[in-house]
Amino acid sequence: MGKKRLISGVVATAEAVRLADVDVITSFPIRPYTGIMSELARMVADGELDAEFIHADGEHAQLSIVYGASAAGARTFTGSSGVGVTYAMEVYSPISGTRLPVHMAIADRTLDPPGDFGSEHTEAESCRDQCWIQGWAATPQEALDLTLLYYRIGEDPRVLLPQYACQDGYFVSHIAGEVEIPDEGQVKEFLPPYKNKHSLNISDPMIIGAQIEPEMGPPLQYQRYIAIQEARKVIAEAYKEFGEIFGRKYSPFVEEYMTDDAEVVIFIQGAHSVTARNVALKLRNHGEKVGVVQLRTLRPFPTEIVRDVLSRFKAVGAVDNSVNYGIAGDGGVLLSEARTALYGLGDKTKTVGFVGGLGGEVITMEEFYKMYAKLKEIAKTGKVERDSYWLPYEL
Amino acid sequence: MLETVKTLRDMPKEEYYVPGHRTCAGCGPALVYRLVAKAAGPNTIFVGPTGCMYVANTSYGCGPWAVPWIHAQITNGGGVASGIEAAYKAMMRKGKYTGERPHAIVMAGDGGSTDIGLQALSGMIYRGHDVLYICYDNESYANTGIQTSPTTPWGAVTTFTPSGPAVPEGKRLWPKDNAQMIAHGHPELKYLATASPAFPVDLFNKVRKGLNAEGPAYLHIQAPCPKGWQFPSNKTIEMAKLALDTGMFQLYELEDGKYKMSYMPKERKPVEEFIKLQGRFKHLKPEHIEKIQNFVDQKVKAIEIEIAALS
Repeated sequence: MGKKRLISGVVATAEAVRLADVDVITSFPIRPYTGIMSELARMVADGELDAEFIHADGEHAQLSIVYGASAAGARTFTGSSGVGVTYAMEVYSPISGTRLPVHMAIADRTLDPPGDFGSEHTEAESCRDQCWIQGWAATPQEALDLTLLYYRIGEDPRVLLPQYACQDGYFVSHIAGEVEIPDEGQVKEFLPPYKNKHSLNISDPMIIGAQIEPEMGPPLQYQRYIAIQEARKVIAEAYKEFGEIFGRKYSPFVEEYMTDDAEVVIFIQGAHSVTARNVALKLRNHGEKVGVVQLRTLRPFPTEIVRDVLSRFKAVGAVDNSVNYGIAGDGGVLLSEARTALYGLGDKTKTVGFVGGLGGEVITMEEFYKMYAKLKEIAKTGKVERDSYWLPYEL
Repeated sequence: MLETVKTLRDMPKEEYYVPGHRTCAGCGPALVYRLVAKAAGPNTIFVGPTGCMYVANTSYGCGPWAVPWIHAQITNGGGVASGIEAAYKAMMRKGKYTGERPHAIVMAGDGGSTDIGLQALSGMIYRGHDVLYICYDNESYANTGIQTSPTTPWGAVTTFTPSGPAVPEGKRLWPKDNAQMIAHGHPELKYLATASPAFPVDLFNKVRKGLNAEGPAYLHIQAPCPKGWQFPSNKTIEMAKLALDTGMFQLYELEDGKYKMSYMPKERKPVEEFIKLQGRFKHLKPEHIEKIQNFVDQKVKAIEIEIAALS
C-alpha cells in the first residue's frame, strides 16, 4: 500500500512520472502545467529520478524531441498548456502515425486572445482527432492514476499510440487533494518496461517514415483508425487490472453518479463534474431525480456506452468547458458527440448544450441549478427551444 | 574514434547509402549523402527532415539506407536528433541498452537548416547534444519545384523570385550565412566546417571529425543542384569547384576555437565564370554581376581576416 499525501495535480502527475521510471523528459514553461516540470526537475536534481531532462526550445521542440527519443526506445514524458499545446500541433500526427506511445500531460488553459491563464478544455480538444488516447482527470488522485493508466494503455503492443492525459488547469493542477501514492512494486506489476520492436537500432536497421505514394497512405491511416478503436478493449482491461492492483476502481469510459432512477443528467468531463455532483446531491435531497454522467475517455469516444447510458434519461445537458465556434448545435464537442451517439434512437432523450466555465471561471453551483431546472423543463414539456446556452449570458 | 584518410583509396569500400533511389541525374546532395554515410559507417542513425533527400530519395520500398533512418518534419531535425541522443544516453546509463552508442546525424536541406528548422538546429547545439548536424545546401527549396530559401544567391531566379520588367534581377536578398551564425553564438559547439563534393577526402574527414567530437558539430556542405541551378547534370563537380574558385563558397573548419582554411584558390576567378554556366542567372545584366562580385569580395575578405585573426 502506498502513502497518502495532500498534493496538487501537478505534483501528483510528477509522482506518477517518477514511478513510471521515464527516460527522457522535455520541458518548456507555460502556466499552469509548468508545475509538473518544476517538480520533475527537482526530482532529477535530488537524485530521485534518473532521466534526461531537456529544456526544449518550445513546445514544437518538446514534441519533436520525444518523437526521436521514443523512436529510439525510451519511455518519454512531456506536457503543455494553452497555446503551447497548439504550437506543437504539427508533430502530433507524426507521433501517432509512427505509433510512438509518447505521453503528454495537458493542464488546460484558454487559447489566446487575450492572454488568459484560466482553465478551458479548448486547446486539448482541438487536438482530439490526432489519434491520441485522451481523457480528463477530475482530481489530483485521478491525475496520478491517469498517467500510469495511459502509459500502460499506450505502450500495449496492441495499441502503440500516444496519450494526452488532461487535467483542468488550476482546479486540478493547483488545488491540493488527498492522493494515495502507490509504491514502486505495485507500479512495476502494473506497468512493464516499454518495448517497441520497431525502434531505431543499429542491430536491426529500418527506415521509419518513408515517403509514400498516394495509394500507400490510406492503408497506414486505416491501421491507425483500427488501432484507436481496438484501444477500447485495452483501456477496459487496463482499468480493471488497475483496480485489482491499486484498489481504486474506475469506470473506464463513463462514470455515473446518482443516475439509477434519474430523469435528467448532466454529461460532463473534468473538474467541473465535481461541482455537478455536489449540486446533484443537494437536488436529490429535495427529491429531484437528477444525476451526473462523467465522461472519462474522450478518445477513443465510447460511442456505444454513451448511447446505452444517456438513452436511459429523458433529458441530457452536455456541459462543454470549451469554445467550438460554429460547431453543429453551437455547443461544444460533448454535445455534438453525445448527439451523434444517440442518433437513430428516436427522440426519447432530449439533448441540450451548456457552454460554461470559460476563461477559467468556475461553473458555479447556481449555474448548475439553472441547468438542472432547464433540463427538468425540457423533460416535462418535451420541447427543446434551442440547441445550446452560453453561460452566463444565455441562461 | 573514426580515422581520417589521406586519399580516396583509403576510404572504406562499404556503402551505407546504396543505389536504387530516385534523385535527379547529377544530384549534388545524393553525392554528398553517399560520402557522409561512407564516412559515418554502420554505427549510425540518420535523421532526415523533409526536403529533397526525403521526397526524391526515401521512397517507400527503395530507400537507400543500410543503417537506421527516421523521417523528421522540415521544422525539427535538430529536435528529433536531440531526442535520439538523449534516449541512448539515458538507456545506457540505466542499463536498458548495452550496445555501442550510435552516432546521430541530421541530414537537412538549406530550408530545414537555415529557415524553418533553424530554431531546432540552434536549440540542439545550444543544449550540447552529441549530434552531427549536416546542412546539404542546394540553395533552394528544391523538392517543391525550386523556391527561394535563405541561401539562394542574390540574383538567382526561382519560382518565387522570377525575373520580370519590374524586378529584373530576380532575387533581391543576400544569402544568410548559417555556418557563421552557428559558429558565433553556441558555446557548446565542438566542431564546425564547410565542405564541398569537389573535395571528397576533405568532406569525408570533416564528417569523421564532427562525429569524433564529443558534443554538437555542424557541417555546411554546398551541394550543387542541376535542376535548381540549371546546369547540365554532368557538371555537378565542376560547378562545386567553380564556386570555391570564385569565392562564392569557402571551405574552412573551426576546431578547438581556431579557424583553418581548407582550400584557398591560388588566384580567385571572377564570379561571372560561375554565373554564366547556370540558367538561374542567365537574365542578369553586367551591373547585377558586378553587385555579386562586390558582395563576394567583401565576404571573402571578411572570412580571411577573421580566420587570420583567430588562428
